[in-house]
Amino acid sequence: MYHLQRTQRLFFRVSQFEYANKSAGLTSVASNVQKHHELVKMDNPYKAPVKGCVLCKVTVDFKNTQLLSQFISPYTGRIYGRHITGLCGRKQKEISKAIKKAHSMGFMSVTHKHPQFMRDPNICSIKHLD
Amino acid sequence: MPRYELALILKVMQRAETAATLRRTVETLMERGAVVRDMENLGERLLPYRINKHDQKHRRGSYFLIDFYAAPNILTGLLDHLHRDVDVVRPTVLKNDKETSKQTCCGPQQ
Repeated sequence: MYHLQRTQRLFFRVSQFEYANKSAGLTSVASNVQKHHELVKMDNPYKAPVKGCVLCKVTVDFKNTQLLSQFISPYTGRIYGRHITGLCGRKQKEISKAIKKAHSMGFMSVTHKHPQFMRDPNICSIKHLD
Repeated sequence: MPRYELALILKVMQRAETAATLRRTVETLMERGAVVRDMENLGERLLPYRINKHDQKHRRGSYFLIDFYAAPNILTGLLDHLHRDVDVVRPTVLKNDKETSKQTCCGPQQ
């Protein structure tokens, strides 16, 4: 009687396991159950579009002093840092290199901004006391 | 394709003298085996700062841009020659790689 009880218990455990498996949706490899609720592979439709910096589509040239002058201080002619201009790494480096090139070649002033460019729109996030 | 670009700042002179200087410069280039592709006049303007050259203080200058193809070994000789020219205020030769702009930037790609 004791042995019967044990095998009965084993059988009970096995059937419980199978039942649990089926209710969770897990089926064995050899099963012919249709899979309706498989995930469709697609890109995240709610993904925000990639935002670029202001100069993403613009080529930077040392001859274009008007563009370069937008990233320097009007009072001292110093080049603004990345936290002020908001440019990405590549463009900030290009601008910085182009400004220094223009300085050495005699295209742009070192200590001030050309008065002709003082009225240009402000790209950099810096507020001057006027 | 343009390999080098010569940004030339000349002294303000009469048109005939400027033309003669440019002719001299281009002939020097060609003598050394360079092929001149393009020449642009960026106008005469006030220099961004006073430049001292050949015992003169220059305030105004005429800007020219010359694209040319050349062997790299002539450049030092060429710059030496241009520095000695009395009418030239500031010569600068730079490399010009127009094709290597295919790096994708951070922004939205099209």
